[in-house]
Amino acid sequence: MASPVLAERPAVEPRPGRRRRPGIGRSDQLIGWLLITPALVYFVVFLLYPAVAALYYSFTDWNLRTAPNWVGFANYTELLFNDVEFPHFWKSVQVTLQYTLIAVPLTLVSALAQALLINAIRRGSNTFRLLLFLPVVTAEAAVGAIWRWLYDPQYGLINAALGLVGIPKQNWLNTPELVIPALAFIAAWQCGISMIIYLAGLKGIPESIREAAIIDGAGPVQRFWKVVVPMLRPTTFYLVVTGTIAALQVFGLVYVIFSGGGGRSVTGGPEQSGLAYVLHIYLYAFRYDAMGAACAMSFMLLVLIMIVTALQFKFLKQEAS
Amino acid sequence: MIARQVRKAPIYVALVLLSLVSVVPFIWMLATSFKHSSDIYTKVPSLLPLDKQTGEWAATLENYDHVLGIGGLGQAFLNSIWVCAILVPAKLLIDALAAYAFARIPFPGRDKLFVVFLAGMMVPTITLLVPRVHITQVLGMYDTRWGLILPNIASVLDIFLLRQFFMSLPGELEEAARIDGAGRMQIFWRIVVPLSKPVLAVVTITSFIFHWNDLVWPLVVTNDPELNTLPLALQQLASTESGRAYYIMAGAALSVIPVIIVLLIFQRRIMQGIAFTGLKT
Repeated sequence: MASPVLAERPAVEPRPGRRRRPGIGRSDQLIGWLLITPALVYFVVFLLYPAVAALYYSFTDWNLRTAPNWVGFANYTELLFNDVEFPHFWKSVQVTLQYTLIAVPLTLVSALAQALLINAIRRGSNTFRLLLFLPVVTAEAAVGAIWRWLYDPQYGLINAALGLVGIPKQNWLNTPELVIPALAFIAAWQCGISMIIYLAGLKGIPESIREAAIIDGAGPVQRFWKVVVPMLRPTTFYLVVTGTIAALQVFGLVYVIFSGGGGRSVTGGPEQSGLAYVLHIYLYAFRYDAMGAACAMSFMLLVLIMIVTALQFKFLKQEAS
Repeated sequence: MIARQVRKAPIYVALVLLSLVSVVPFIWMLATSFKHSSDIYTKVPSLLPLDKQTGEWAATLENYDHVLGIGGLGQAFLNSIWVCAILVPAKLLIDALAAYAFARIPFPGRDKLFVVFLAGMMVPTITLLVPRVHITQVLGMYDTRWGLILPNIASVLDIFLLRQFFMSLPGELEEAARIDGAGRMQIFWRIVVPLSKPVLAVVTITSFIFHWNDLVWPLVVTNDPELNTLPLALQQLASTESGRAYYIMAGAALSVIPVIIVLLIFQRRIMQGIAFTGLKT
């Protein structure tokens, strides 16, 4: 872009008899700012401004039709305490926490199991890794569409497979008690990233430690609990934190699973049992035009995520010391 | 040797079973997408496109024909390609230039600015969504092709990853080039970029997968069905044709297959990339 002009300058600048000191000079300043400008414009317009604006809107009654009026903490208190105005707020909190509490452990256990198995073999390990990774790169829209069909009560593959072991047909996505387990199972199906990260963690366990454990007479089960699990603790912690942050924001999947009635209609599932927190925000923002309330909800989520992140940093510091 | 293989047999059995859980949904998707509508609803589900009555092979392309044409997925497929073809390279360029400046070019306030960028990474997308849509409207880009692209034209995470990589490059080469009179941009294009091909590839591939799959942003920033990207068109197909699994699975296959091809080609790069970065989620 600016290179033809700027590239010529260093040829002029160095003075005879004096070595250029690296990284000093007016041209550097100019180039530095020029290179950062496009990213900076994006950052200010589409990140910084929206973050500040969202905080401001959360204290207003903005509904797209009239200019925003300052209402103080009203959105926050109404959301928390007025179950006439916001009948499903606490339901969405409950759904999301339940989903997180089931999906995160399920994902990690299945990721660790897969990683241990792959780590134990040589031949074919790349193939298995690839097959187990396929669900990760699949679009949420496709995942939702495929699993709606898999969970189909009449003709779905899940019920057919469970029928082989004598489990009666379930209407998975239409039974309130089954919705969250069904969604969490999809999350575990997509555990490939955690699997890869666990695999890297396993490769990082020094062979000498494993051998020492064998010499000391530790069996495979003991080695797993006394060597592998403790050595993987930082990896597990990282995955719990990132997994929790992702699970708290689950949206696309439930949006597709519970869209129906044509076009862009969406519901919270049977008796709102699939009303994820972010889906609830989406409905208030883009269906009911309650921008103030939607922004207040999204800021509560932001605070929760910041707490989780802060815990992570605290833990990492402890590990380091 | 043979005893060792036998001992590993249970491990292979377990891996085969787990892989089946992982892959069978895709096989079923493909099988359904090639079935005639009359062959879908069978008592025992079939993983092959077979005739319901005779049990003979009976594959058809009519579902693809329908969703690509009337279903609007043909247009959506082109839209997705269009968005990715512009967005992915432009974003890579913007991110790489910024990352290079953050890594190598000292100027006042640089490191403070970088910390501010990093703080921005923590804000969840949903928090930014409402004002982002609003500012896209104010800028006249709502419900346009540019509205799909420009609000995603850079990524703080990618800048961070590229900066880390650039900083790990040995500085001597660049220093030598500077003494020989090369400018910053010459150094960037002739030294930094060639040395950074692996990380640039990882960022490009993950960025393509992310935007090819992205549902949320197209959902909130467009209204015109002509602008549907593939995930959005697929969601609408699943919503309006919810009884017709054969159409929906054909649509899902159209969305999934290009990404699987990319994964097959670049699998090693992608796995390595994830091992030290984690994929965008």
